Amino acid sequence: MSNDETTAGHIQELRRGTVVLACLVRLRQPDYGYALLESLNALGIIVDANTLYPLLRRLEKQDLLVSEWNTEEARPRKFYRTSPAGDALAEVLATDWRRIDDALARLTTGDDR
Amino acid sequence: MTTLTDRYVWAAARTLPEAQRAEFDRELRERIGDATDALVETGRAPADAERMALVELGDPAALAASYVDRPLQLIGPRYYLTWWRLVKMLYSVVLPIAVAAVVLAQLLSGADVGDVIGNAIAVGLSLAVHLGFWTTLVFAVLERSPGRGAADLAWTPDMLPQLPELSRPGRRSELIGSLVFLGIFAVVIVWQQFGLPWVDALETIPLLDPDLWSFWIPYFLVLILLEMLFAIAIYAWGWNWWLAVANLVLNVAFVVPALWLFTTGQLINPEALEAIGWPWGDAGDVVVPLIIVVVIGVAVWDVIDGVIKTVRGRGGAMPTLGRI
Repeated sequence: MSNDETTAGHIQELRRGTVVLACLVRLRQPDYGYALLESLNALGIIVDANTLYPLLRRLEKQDLLVSEWNTEEARPRKFYRTSPAGDALAEVLATDWRRIDDALARLTTGDDR
Repeated sequence: MTTLTDRYVWAAARTLPEAQRAEFDRELRERIGDATDALVETGRAPADAERMALVELGDPAALAASYVDRPLQLIGPRYYLTWWRLVKMLYSVVLPIAVAAVVLAQLLSGADVGDVIGNAIAVGLSLAVHLGFWTTLVFAVLERSPGRGAADLAWTPDMLPQLPELSRPGRRSELIGSLVFLGIFAVVIVWQQFGLPWVDALETIPLLDPDLWSFWIPYFLVLILLEMLFAIAIYAWGWNWWLAVANLVLNVAFVVPALWLFTTGQLINPEALEAIGWPWGDAGDVVVPLIIVVVIGVAVWDVIDGVIKTVRGRGGAMPTLGRI
């Protein structure tokens, strides 16, 4: 029971930063909150709505995303798009992600080059 | 859409600054609408779906607070330790001093014991509430004000407490001091029966009532002997909870009978009082309460000191006075 909770907690920790990266990459194509949530979950990047919406707002505040209201449909929707700064950050994060992945791979295979 | 969503949005938006409300309102309606639609698509009735979507969002006040980064705790980690140290210091220094001052002032003005105790409790309680409330309020405001005020109050290595003195050589001087003091005390109690040669008026008159030899003076001499054994026990084992309790018992066993005898006029020899010309005008009204307060104060401090040394010796944390 508590073991499961520990595991769930660590998995959440591990995924936290990757959601930012996934959003920045995915939003090179503009999209709104719920569609983004759906598409990330469909890709197997599991993220909760209560995590995603505040995250989008925070990234916008940090000028990593820009937003625009689309009022063409019955329900106005806020479309987010990755800014140039967000793009640059995505590059940095992706590079770091690959470096960690390599390091972990070498660690688990015991091949220390 | 329907009233439930309207109520939710209103409840969340009302705590936000005016300028952010319109945008927040729109974003929230989009989010609730999309979540509700998704639930309807899975086959739920629209009303149920709306309710479920709102349950998923949680408390509107919490949602709004996260939107504007408002803290959801009274005092956060940035100030908590500073607040805690200050409160401990106020309660362990300011409160007892203030209450003791009130007690002394009342005794001096001749109030009776019941009133003094009642007033001391009332003043102590109200002061404790005020100290706690205003300190906490200041820190809660600090927590909510922008800027980095914590830098001045940051921890530095200079604040580290001294290690408790646990080595025997450190305790030896304490032991010798205690034994010498207790020995002199016992000698004086016996000697005063034959008069106190260094006080002119009492050269041949016993200070303590000679009737006390039937029980109370031997009782106090035995207590002094026990205090000596206690001092040796401290030297041998260091402070522990058993000895801290024994210290309390010894103090009570000494102070309660002594004060009882003193206040009921059985302690001091009437002849001695006559010889020194007691009561010295109005001075008696001041001297008696003063003696009572000092005796109780010394005993209480001795008990507290024992507890502090026990806790420190056991690796516990006590308020580090003057190091907030």
